[in-house]
Formats: sequence, C-alpha cells, structure tokens
Amino acid sequence: MSLIPFRTKRSSGMEGGNLATLADFRHEMNRLFEGFFSRPTPFTPSWFEATEPGQWMPAIDLSETDTQIRVRAELPGIDPKDVDVSVSGDRLLISGEKKSCTEESGEGWSHCESHYGAFSRAIPLPESVDPAKVTARYDKGVLMVELTKAPSSTSRKVPVLTK
Amino acid sequence: MATTIAKTESRAGAAPAQAETPLTYQPNVDICDCGAEVLIVADIPGARTDGIDVSFEDGVLSLHARVPARELPGRSLGQEYGCGDYRRSFRLGDDFDASQITATYRHGVLTIHVPRLAAVRPRKVEVRAG
Repeated sequence: MSLIPFRTKRSSGMEGGNLATLADFRHEMNRLFEGFFSRPTPFTPSWFEATEPGQWMPAIDLSETDTQIRVRAELPGIDPKDVDVSVSGDRLLISGEKKSCTEESGEGWSHCESHYGAFSRAIPLPESVDPAKVTARYDKGVLMVELTKAPSSTSRKVPVLTK
Repeated sequence: MATTIAKTESRAGAAPAQAETPLTYQPNVDICDCGAEVLIVADIPGARTDGIDVSFEDGVLSLHARVPARELPGRSLGQEYGCGDYRRSFRLGDDFDASQITATYRHGVLTIHVPRLAAVRPRKVEVRAG
C-alpha cells in the first residue's frame, strides 16, 4: 500500500497568496493571452490592462478612422502635468496620479466616491501607429489622445489587373 | 456637527426623478466637513462652465451640468462610459448659510462650498488660568 502525500503549499505553486504572487500570476496570464491572440481586442477584461496592483483605471472610449485612432479618457480633477501618455509598440499607456485636495487642507473626507492616487491603463491598439505622431490634449477633465496609424498599416486599395 | 453630515450623506443618493435629456448620470461625489464649511466635490468631466447650474431651494442643493454631445469621428471600437447630463441633489440641514454658497469648476471637477451659519460654526474656547 502506497501512501500518497498531501501536496504541500510549497509544491502547489500557489504559496503566499499575497499581492506579489497575484501580480506574477497576472503577468503570466498577460503573457499567455498576448501570445494567444496575435491581435488583442481593444477591450480585454480590465484586470488584464492594469499595470500595477492597487491602481485605478480611467474609463475610455476608442474610435478609429482610416488614418487615425482616437482615445478619450475621463480623468476629472487631474493636473495635466501629472498625466503621462506614451506609446510602446502596439500599446498606448496612460498613467499618472490624482492628488487628493485633503493633502492640502489637512481635512478628512466624510464621504468619498472618487478615485484618488496612482492610475494606469495600457490600451492595446488595433493597429500599429507612428510614435512620432501622437498628440494628447486635456480639457475639462477629459484626455483626448490622437494617434496616427503607421503608413504600412493604412489600408490601400489594390487594383486587380487583367492580362 | 456629526448629525448634520450624517443627514447629508444619507440623502446624498436621492437624485431627482425628472430628466430633460434621455441620458442623465449621477456624478461621483466626495463630501468633506471642514468645520466652518462643507465641501461637495463632484466629478463632472466634459461639462462646460456655462452649462452648470447649482441651485438651492427648500433645503435641497441641486446640481445640473449639461455635457455637449461627443464628437468622435470615425467608427467606434468601444465605449466604456455614457455621455449625458449630470444631476444630483443633496438635502442640507438647517445650520448652513444658503446665501453664501459658492461653486468653482476646474479640470472637470465642481467644488461647492457650503458655509455653516456663524452661530453654529465650531469654535475653540480658550481656557484661562484662574
């Protein structure tokens, strides 16, 4: 009769259960999904897109024309200087920090529904873009990012020749 | 002081039922009791300054912010938030000075300052040695 040992926590691969392990798990899942879907959909589940644990993500709208991709993000109450917009490969990264005005006044909130602190969102772009032709504008709490598609990716009509 | 805030909080979610536009949203709101005044901070991104109404009537402070329609040319690949007017109302206690309510708007955030009546403002009493 052979005894089957219980799997220890260490051997189960899920030891810890802390944020670091979760982050590793998410990173691994991101890697899996990125490899699995060669062209990720713009709206993958939100937890695939957050880059750091504990951060909040702004809501976005995404649209495209033949030559441009436009991203509109709701970021109320943020100083434009505290927003970073960058393009890396086929991803647009919007990150920054929303500072609470309680830090200035020293008072506490008795009721809080808004997000404060660091935010980050990586948005998979449907097509490759020209990193040199990206503009970002912040107006009335809304960030508008316009990206120009890379020339190679813009659609081109191919004439069909006859002999 | 605590009683008044509790009252404000408990009724903060009571938005008016009637709406002029088909889409009306209840903005996220932070409330801060700063002693001499109560701050109501509402996220209303996209609203224009001239489209914001803050009114006080029968003990109810109401905010209505009109948001212009979005102009995104091309085809949409996804929308995570709707676009419409913001509405929310708050019932205030009797210890606020309605005539001194002020509001500022910056970066998509409306801050309403609701001062307390001078008679009910917290006051520190100095203790002197006898």
